[in-house]
Amino acid sequence: MSDPEASDPGARVSGAHWWDPDRASHLADRPRFCPNCGNGVTGTEGISVEYWEADRRVFHTWCNTCGWSGNIVRVERMVGHEPEH
Amino acid sequence: MLSKEQNERLTRVGPGTPMGDLLRRYWYPVAFARELEDWPIRKVRLLGEDFALWRTPEGGYGIIQESCPHRAASLLYGVVEVDGLRCGYHGWKFDESGNCMDQPAEPGKSAFMRHVKAFAGKAEALGGMVWAYIGPDPAPELPRFDVFVDPGFIDVGHSMLPCNWLQIMENSVDPHHVEYLHGRYFEFLGSQQGFVAPKSFQKKHLKVGFDAMEWGILKRRVLEGHTEQDDDWAIGHPLVFPHSMRVGGAGIDQMQIRVPIDDTTTWAMFYSNHHPEGLDHYPEQIYPVDYEYQWMDDKGRHIVDYIEGQDVMAWVSQGAINDRTAEHIGKSDIGVIMLRRMFKAQMARVEAGEDPTVGFTRSPHQRIELPCEKKKFGASIDFALAWLDMGSTRYSPALDTLRKIHLEAARVRGETPNSDEYATAQHVGIY
Ligand code: FES
Ligand SMILES: [Fe+2]
Ligand SMILES: [Zn+2]
Repeated sequence: MSDPEASDPGARVSGAHWWDPDRASHLADRPRFCPNCGNGVTGTEGISVEYWEADRRVFHTWCNTCGWSGNIVRVERMVGHEPEH
Repeated sequence: MLSKEQNERLTRVGPGTPMGDLLRRYWYPVAFARELEDWPIRKVRLLGEDFALWRTPEGGYGIIQESCPHRAASLLYGVVEVDGLRCGYHGWKFDESGNCMDQPAEPGKSAFMRHVKAFAGKAEALGGMVWAYIGPDPAPELPRFDVFVDPGFIDVGHSMLPCNWLQIMENSVDPHHVEYLHGRYFEFLGSQQGFVAPKSFQKKHLKVGFDAMEWGILKRRVLEGHTEQDDDWAIGHPLVFPHSMRVGGAGIDQMQIRVPIDDTTTWAMFYSNHHPEGLDHYPEQIYPVDYEYQWMDDKGRHIVDYIEGQDVMAWVSQGAINDRTAEHIGKSDIGVIMLRRMFKAQMARVEAGEDPTVGFTRSPHQRIELPCEKKKFGASIDFALAWLDMGSTRYSPALDTLRKIHLEAARVRGETPNSDEYATAQHVGIY
């Protein structure tokens, strides 16, 4: 069932099936805890939602325990310039 | 008898199931080409998944997941463009491979697009129908069986039935049912309702045989008063793996196709090519005649006074998914056992990462001829007329044309219809 393209972060992946790497990575990669107070943000105490900005996967994260919010970007490679978007 | 687990493995067709994976190695008819002329986008449900099928302005076809990868609006309400289908909600556009080609609201030329893909299959036309393949690449060839490519007058009756496709397939390797369901039961019905049921189906089966062949299982029978030299044994007709059966006789060649829509729904189709001996041209057709045959009356009872209606009763009344843990099968059911074994063997191949070996080809071809009796049950014009009036064809808007085709051919051959069968059809008021 594994998608041969899954290992290539630049590849297009369909989210049509529950096993698609696209769906799995959304859950696997999202922040689970508030960077400020350390409380959970995946249950009732906050939210962490992925969106794409060009090639960047951004997790908007908000903690309802301490009120912190911010964007957490998953970094695949260290690059020294702002990607085009 | 099967265990609950075995029954599940043999009947579940959805994504990620062993049978679903096997069935995804085959092509299925999903629409009539005519329907995409009426409106270029159509919903398709196949093997438990929903798709949008569309006709490109050049006349090709695309099929992708119905639900938009953006925020799940239905792509059925999309815009057909030269190079793809555009979602009606925010305008994301997908090509025939499912690649996202445009995201109008994203800033500039966003690289985001390159990460999005809709799940896509392949679709092509054959015999006036659009066929789809939703399995892994590379797709096998779409088998171009004789009935779909040979000249003739094409008539297709179809209906959505509330049962699993396997119980319909099992009926195709069950020759004995003919003399009961279409013979004795039909006769009983006639005696109650005042008509004479067709005699040809009442003949007793003296011998049945099943041979595995590259396209499925070849079924043979010897009926009372016949010999092994007769077509019913010498030629026989095949179950075409994994979703069809080829039958024919008296100038009618038919493919019965059972498309597994999901675990409990099957689109059951009778695709008939009428080309009786004696004629070499037929009324012109742009598209095949297509229509729904009726199988249930307004009181929710099965309509059983015609052949296919009787079969539908047997298929559907077994339940949405036949619970085979309760069955008691005997020697006369060996065809059914052989079919289950064939499914198991082919599933194992696919699980091992191999191609199926039955009903499957990667060789490009023009036409595949299937073995099929010509003189079925030893009958001719009477058999043809009974077929028309006692089969699902009785619901065809082209019934009259078909009757004329067969009568004209009989006249050229010097045959006159004058049997019980014909009288029967008149009696039940179809003429
Ligand atoms: S849901 Fe299809 S483009 Fe937004
Ligand atoms: Fe039957
Ligand atoms: Zn916090």
